[in-house]
Amino acid sequence: MTTFLTFTLLGLVLGAVYAIAASGLVLTYNTSGIFNFAHGAQAMLGTFLYWQLAHGWGWPVWLALVVVVGVVGPAMGAALHAVIMKGLRDTADVTRIVVTVAIMLGMVFLSQWLWHPEEARVVEMFFGADAKVEFLGVVVRVHEIICLLVAAAIAVGLRMLFTRSRVGVVMRGTVDDPDLIRLNGHNPDRVAALSWAMGSTLAVLAGILITPIGGGALEANALTLLVIDAFAAAMFGRLRSIPRTFAGAMVLGLAATYVTAYFPTDWTWAGNLRVSLPMIILFVVLVLLPQDRLRGAAVRTRERYRVPTVRRAAVWGVALVAAVVLLMPLMEDTSITTFGLGMTFAIIALSLTLLTGYAGELNLAPLAFGAVATIVAFHFGITGTGLAARLTLWGILLAVLVAAVVGGLVALPALRLRGLYLALATMAFGVFLSNMVLRDTVEHTLFGVTFSLFPNGALIVPPLQLGPLDLRDPGTLLISATALFAAIAVGLVALRGSGYGRRLAAMKDSPAATAMLGQDLVRLKFGVFMLSAAIAGLGGVLMSTAAGSVSGENFAIMAGLSLVMLTVVGGIGYVSGALFGGLMSGVGFVIIIGTFNDLARATPEMATIYQTLGQVVLVATALIGMGVGKNPSGLVHDLFDGYRTLRGARPVLAGGAAAGAVLYLLALTGVIGNWWFAILTALLVMTLPALGRALMPRAVLTEEELARRRSVPPELAGIDEPYTDELRDRLDQELGLPAREGRGGPHARPAVEEGDVHAIA
Amino acid sequence: MKDEPAPLLELAGARAAYGPIEVLRGVDLRVEAGSVVALLGPNGGGKSTTMKVCAGLLPLTGGELRLAGRRVNGLAAEDAARLGVCSIPEGRGIFPNLTVRENLWVATRTGTRLRDMEEAAYTRFPMLGERRDQLAGSLSGGQQQMLALSRALGTAPAILLLDELSMGLAPMIVTQMYDTVAQLVAEGLSVLVAEQFARAVLPIADTAALMLNGRVVSVGTPGEIEDHLSSGYLGG
Ligand SMILES: Nc1ncnc2c1ncn2[C@@H]1O[C@H](COP(=O)(O)OP(=O)(O)O)[C@@H](O)[C@H]1O
Ligand SMILES: [Mg+2]
Repeated sequence: MTTFLTFTLLGLVLGAVYAIAASGLVLTYNTSGIFNFAHGAQAMLGTFLYWQLAHGWGWPVWLALVVVVGVVGPAMGAALHAVIMKGLRDTADVTRIVVTVAIMLGMVFLSQWLWHPEEARVVEMFFGADAKVEFLGVVVRVHEIICLLVAAAIAVGLRMLFTRSRVGVVMRGTVDDPDLIRLNGHNPDRVAALSWAMGSTLAVLAGILITPIGGGALEANALTLLVIDAFAAAMFGRLRSIPRTFAGAMVLGLAATYVTAYFPTDWTWAGNLRVSLPMIILFVVLVLLPQDRLRGAAVRTRERYRVPTVRRAAVWGVALVAAVVLLMPLMEDTSITTFGLGMTFAIIALSLTLLTGYAGELNLAPLAFGAVATIVAFHFGITGTGLAARLTLWGILLAVLVAAVVGGLVALPALRLRGLYLALATMAFGVFLSNMVLRDTVEHTLFGVTFSLFPNGALIVPPLQLGPLDLRDPGTLLISATALFAAIAVGLVALRGSGYGRRLAAMKDSPAATAMLGQDLVRLKFGVFMLSAAIAGLGGVLMSTAAGSVSGENFAIMAGLSLVMLTVVGGIGYVSGALFGGLMSGVGFVIIIGTFNDLARATPEMATIYQTLGQVVLVATALIGMGVGKNPSGLVHDLFDGYRTLRGARPVLAGGAAAGAVLYLLALTGVIGNWWFAILTALLVMTLPALGRALMPRAVLTEEELARRRSVPPELAGIDEPYTDELRDRLDQELGLPAREGRGGPHARPAVEEGDVHAIA
Repeated sequence: MKDEPAPLLELAGARAAYGPIEVLRGVDLRVEAGSVVALLGPNGGGKSTTMKVCAGLLPLTGGELRLAGRRVNGLAAEDAARLGVCSIPEGRGIFPNLTVRENLWVATRTGTRLRDMEEAAYTRFPMLGERRDQLAGSLSGGQQQMLALSRALGTAPAILLLDELSMGLAPMIVTQMYDTVAQLVAEGLSVLVAEQFARAVLPIADTAALMLNGRVVSVGTPGEIEDHLSSGYLGG
């Protein structure tokens, strides 16, 4: 009995902290419509800061609390709202999710920069772990009592806020109808800012309370994910109801402690099950959620994508393979291996182009499907042993098939629901897989078969052999992966242009209209998700063979999230965005950090600067991700747009190609290093459109842009701009002078031509 | 020296659009202080859009919006509300998931007290008083419209914008509503009211304006416009 009471109490304590975290999430989601994936990261950052003040600098605990919970927490929330969230109006769900994911990654990078991850840090319980009270034979720590009291106070406080204060009632009104709130004289933005401040404060509070309960060790990724467990609690209240969120949190907390207490210790799955429980529960709740109503109106968003023709895509595909072949002589074997690895990531990223770019659904754990495929290939797809071991084609096919089926199973419960829920389901699956499967190193016996899913914590996946094609050679692997990427990419472009692709696009733009036209939405989503999971699986197996040996870390949820973010940054609607995202997240980080570390080693006196620069790059990438809200169509899209304008400016294109060729020759002959070659080429590629605009404006700019150039307001015109009649007229008008003779029609033409002549000269 | 005071609310050549689609194409409209202007016309003519523009919910893409002679293009809806523009939008201007009392609470601002608001509303509509703790979404259509109108009672606005007050209501209730509006007008309130069906509103209107295809095509006394109405509908 005492055991039961003790564990019940511990469960309630854990539930209390989940409740605090989850209610913050519900609060912000409801008043601003943004589901904040960075919630856990905010908790993490706040807790690190608290540690720094209270333990690092030895401030009194109360002072550290006042500063972190009372000042930093609200300020962080309000700042996030002011800087980023306000800009997310009229953006697709996907963009909103990616922006908060980018914030989350940025905060994790930032914390790892400020607080070196290899140093151990411990957050202690309030009044110490030895401060205990005995009650009915149950020993309770003071810290645990504090958790319960704080949660209770927050429950009461929120209730009072929402029913007993005008601002709380206005917050609830904002959920119903923000426009009507404005007609009543209140500013919904201010309401949202307040709720972000409160949500952030609750996150920070939860982080500080939960870390000591979980053992006290402070680790950025773990804490960020721990608070993500609270998502499951929020799901109980359908992301709307705070009382039900509290109830859900208690269920979660109790379930976790009861598993620890009552599951047989010799049952080999128990340990991992306990950690995965919140995600399993999240999944179950998703299955049980009633169907969402489809929103009637088409989603009018700022994202715009052009669909390229298959021919054009094929030409680009061949060009990509050719470029890689040309680059190979420049690279050492290790770089070729790294590059090949990046290309396999790009294949995984293509699964996102299909799912997100074309169909508007989101998968936050693409690597998890790669992991599933890898495990299947490892167990069933290898022939031979030792150095002679090879992956078989059948093994890969089976792996891809299983990935697709698992994908279908994961997506199934969420398909009836809005995109956000599918995103959450995939994330739950990713975390579940990391905890339950990728850590499954112990042996189980089931039906007389003894096995473990992830033996020794690392799988050695041998390369594929297909007749004469042996992917053991890194060069062969790189070219095969590139060719495969190009082939799938062209296939996707063809798919997008087909009737099926148009149905996907219609579903993305207006689910309600698609449903009315008699399209079976669930089947459509189901099919596209399976296909996308298959592509991710294929890329994942290849990634594992390219890496040679993979551990759970290779498929970590954070790595998957950063792949998603970078692909969206590159441009989720285009296969080229997948190339960018895959290469950047697969190897870009490794290369950049590696280079800065090399530089640091080469010049020890500058070491700190270089190391800092490496960290800055990481945080900067996340910043770019946050910028996706401003430019939802992606970087590559902008670049391509630039090149499209260059079509009329052949000399500029030819000059650019020549400069590229010269750089290549210089690199080939060893005159410049590879690093310089990469930097200069990138610079050339990115600045060429701007060069074109500067050198040949007549050929590059559209009529409209030319016209806009001419009609610069006088105060903005450069000093060498000729003073045209048009400008003089406008100035007269500004100054309120009487009109000169013959203003308008007859004068306008010569003025324009004068401007043109000048522009060419 | 001015010969006549500026109208309380005025649109001059007002243009507005939803995305690329222009809906208002140069609307001219004046609401003099203390008067009731009825904005009539068939469905899709742009009446509700005109109301949104006046309330500050939709920005002008051209022309001017003036309040008491001051150009206020780009005024935010919440600021317009604080300046005394009380707008009751098409459909039900209430929060269904808040109680009657909470709905009134949202309508209060610094300076107005909930108690006064409640008193004004419950005196005029005793039925609301009986249901003060009920969710507004559970009220009947007429009661919801009374609740929406109560907002104008306690906040002492300068001008009331009413969009399709009669929509979906029994004729008797409509009459009762417009009686309330008439009483408010007698106390000095100005009203701009959009109605697709003219009969309900013409008796209390001083001026009527006919709106077709994003323009006010004629303005006159209610009697004159009533004569125009049938031809207007046919021509539109
Ligand atoms: N939110 C909106 N988005 C796009 N078009 C709209 C929207 N609201 C109204 N419209 C269009 O604007 C036009 C005028 O509508 P509205 O102002 O509601 O007219 P009325 O109130 O006179 O019936 C209609 O053609 C309608 O289809
Ligand atoms: Mg209307």
